[in-house]
Amino acid sequence: MGVEHISEKEREYDWFWLCSIPELYERDRRLLLKEFKDPRTVRAEAGKNADALAILGEKKRQAVLAHLRSFSCEEEYQKLCGKGIRFISRMHGDYPEGLLQMADAPSGLFYMGRLPRRQEVCVAVVGARMCTYNGRKNARELAERLAENGVCVVSGMAYGIDAQAQEACLAAGSASFAVLGCSADICYPRENRTLYEQLIRRGGLISEYCPGTAPMAFHFPMRNRIISGLSKMVVVVEARKKSGTLITADLALEQGKDVFAFPGRPTDELSAGCNRLIQQGAGMITDIDEFLEINGLLRQKRETEKNCRQGLATSENLVYSCLDSESKSTQSLADETGLPVWQVMRILSALQLKGLVAEIGKNHYGKIR
Amino acid sequence: MFNTVLSAAVFGVEGRLVSVEADVGDGLPSFAMVGFLSAQVKEAQERVRTALKNAGFRMEPKRVTVNLSPADMRKCGTGFDFPIAVAVAAAYGRIPQENLEGILIAGELSLNGEVLPVPGILPMAAQAAKAGCRACLVPKANEGEAAMIKDVQVFGVRDLREAIAWLCKETQIAPAKEDSLCIQPQAVCEDFAFVSGQEAAKRAAEVAASGAHNLLMVGPPGAGKSMLAKCIPGILPLPGVDESLEISKIYSVAGLLRQDGAPLCGRPYRAPHHTITAKAMAGGGTVPRPGEISLAHNGVLFLDELPEFSRETLEILRQPLEDRRVCISRSGVSYEFPAHFMLVAAMNPCPCGYFPDMSRCTCTHYMVQRYLERVSAPILERIDISVEVEGVEYADLAGHMPAESSAEIRARVEKAREIQKERYRGTKYRTNADLDQEGIRAYCPLGDAENRLLETAYHKLDLSARTYFRIIKVARTIADMDQSERIRGEHLQEALCYRSISKKYWMGR
Repeated sequence: MGVEHISEKEREYDWFWLCSIPELYERDRRLLLKEFKDPRTVRAEAGKNADALAILGEKKRQAVLAHLRSFSCEEEYQKLCGKGIRFISRMHGDYPEGLLQMADAPSGLFYMGRLPRRQEVCVAVVGARMCTYNGRKNARELAERLAENGVCVVSGMAYGIDAQAQEACLAAGSASFAVLGCSADICYPRENRTLYEQLIRRGGLISEYCPGTAPMAFHFPMRNRIISGLSKMVVVVEARKKSGTLITADLALEQGKDVFAFPGRPTDELSAGCNRLIQQGAGMITDIDEFLEINGLLRQKRETEKNCRQGLATSENLVYSCLDSESKSTQSLADETGLPVWQVMRILSALQLKGLVAEIGKNHYGKIR
Repeated sequence: MFNTVLSAAVFGVEGRLVSVEADVGDGLPSFAMVGFLSAQVKEAQERVRTALKNAGFRMEPKRVTVNLSPADMRKCGTGFDFPIAVAVAAAYGRIPQENLEGILIAGELSLNGEVLPVPGILPMAAQAAKAGCRACLVPKANEGEAAMIKDVQVFGVRDLREAIAWLCKETQIAPAKEDSLCIQPQAVCEDFAFVSGQEAAKRAAEVAASGAHNLLMVGPPGAGKSMLAKCIPGILPLPGVDESLEISKIYSVAGLLRQDGAPLCGRPYRAPHHTITAKAMAGGGTVPRPGEISLAHNGVLFLDELPEFSRETLEILRQPLEDRRVCISRSGVSYEFPAHFMLVAAMNPCPCGYFPDMSRCTCTHYMVQRYLERVSAPILERIDISVEVEGVEYADLAGHMPAESSAEIRARVEKAREIQKERYRGTKYRTNADLDQEGIRAYCPLGDAENRLLETAYHKLDLSARTYFRIIKVARTIADMDQSERIRGEHLQEALCYRSISKKYWMGR
């Protein structure tokens, strides 16, 4: 039995067979491969002697045996292609290099759209789902600048920071890749459908889970290692003290990747995680272009913005200035400026129409520029 | 001998004349009642017979037949006891028929001949006045209520003996006093003078009251949403005589008028709990009674914790919010209740209540989304003004800045309403909130600059067609408050801030 006799196609089929057992996770696959060297042997041995799989435990052993009986590689592969999903094993030449360096690189990846190309630089932008307006703004600005400099954004397509960064990146014309906690054919969260569709066309949806796998809470920490594995560095935009995002940062450090974070005020709960990272030695982003420059990503400087305050009436400027640090409600703006509330509302509408502020919640306004 | 007495039944909030006919003739002694009667009315014969006896009237054994006509209308309630007794007494020859002409009689009897009050006397009296009756003979306890109708004399009696004596012109009863409707601001409501801070919400409430727009308040728990809502009836213009009468009619039918018969003052404020059923909200029962929306007629219906109301209950509001009335159909008849109310709703922005304050909100995106989805878009679309109510600052709580009182605000609201009344004289509209697209075209013309502003807003803020019209309506109200004939840019700008929440921009996307 020599490896040289197996064609590449057959080899991919073997790996596909192994990666399509829904009950097995990477840890189980590693266990099997350690015992039997390659998927073909696993298959052959399992067919010969059912007890050979005892190391997996009874439940998973039964699952593999059932899989062995019912799963027809070619047929299933056709079905996969029909859904627009492709499979790549870690033996394949196009398998992302960044992942190969990981001790627990996924044996195979299912993806829609495409995978990051070798020459493409990827940066992971991750953060909290329930984020503040500021966090959202930072994420969008960073992603936009990354995209303008030809960098791809990798993230998890979750609500909040993830989705905002990926959306902004696509909008600025670069490719973006999402690593999912479910299979690539499931859009989770459903509300991000538009982004999901866009990612298929202008980037990729990547998952280590075989089609039909539902999003489970424990899948998400696992997929984080792929996010950081695909990226040159990881940027944390906003995170609470105990946040899944910090797992990505930890994994990135384990993989020897640089971690950056946006600092926040000590009182901001959603910046607690970021500040902790910075305290532990992560890079601090105070200026996006500076960050790009330090990391050699800056190709074109940002055009100097023209002063958007020009042409504002005094009272408009007054209200606009109050929004400097954070988003505020109509009521607090009225209190701060001392203007009657109806006038503040009129000014806010005018500023909105000028594209300077946005209403981010009912009667809550934040600066756009 | 055959006699008839005029009485009335209540359908919805309208009275309908019923003539009670009685015939006493020879034959086997019996007491038969016909005319599509409900069980309550059929029971009347026992009460009538006993009450007549105890009133000192001896019924000789004869064949008595009573008919309530029109016979195709189902009659319910206990209000027919009294007219039946009078008709029977007349048929026995105790009361001359000519004395009964043009008198409407209604009331319940107790066995000892006492005349007891019944609900719905007010619409009956109104109907009597309409039909040109000369008098109404009603229970003493209902006297004041019936006297609200000025065009008909009202006599209140305590028992059957007194009534028969009066009908035979043996005694005199003084007609019930024409209680002038004492209209005064709602006594139970709160005053804006005691609401500290919350200028934005107060302003929104004033705009809403000025144009009779529906209002939604969004804010964290304890921000004072309920308090603000309670203040709103106090800034609505005082109800006119017609409006008060409309309100009183509904309360009369529901049996909720005060015991002393004094008319209701001010505008009703109804705040049903969120566990209320759809039937209690709209009105229902085998014989439908007015629901909360009708009890809030010409006043305020406050729904606290809007997303907690069952979907069915909220959906049932849709038609009344458009038509300003509610139709309830039962086999053969459909009842109509007026329901022209101002909807004031309050809700938290998320289950924990602190969104978008991210340092305090503990909800996930999904939870927020789910919470908002409980209020259906069609309901939100009928709410013209929505405003955020913030938690109160300590400085406001402890501050000594005297706030404006409700009376001062009401004066301004009345001014704005006056302008609307003038403008919509002779049209189907009463207030700016009533305007439909046609009305908006006719009464809310926009200049070039204003049109441009709205166009920019339409694209920039991603408005829907419906929102577009609502913003113009609200801007019309703000212009009226400014005593401005034309809708100016600043009015539109303020109106833009009141547009209701939509899921899309809730998350700032």
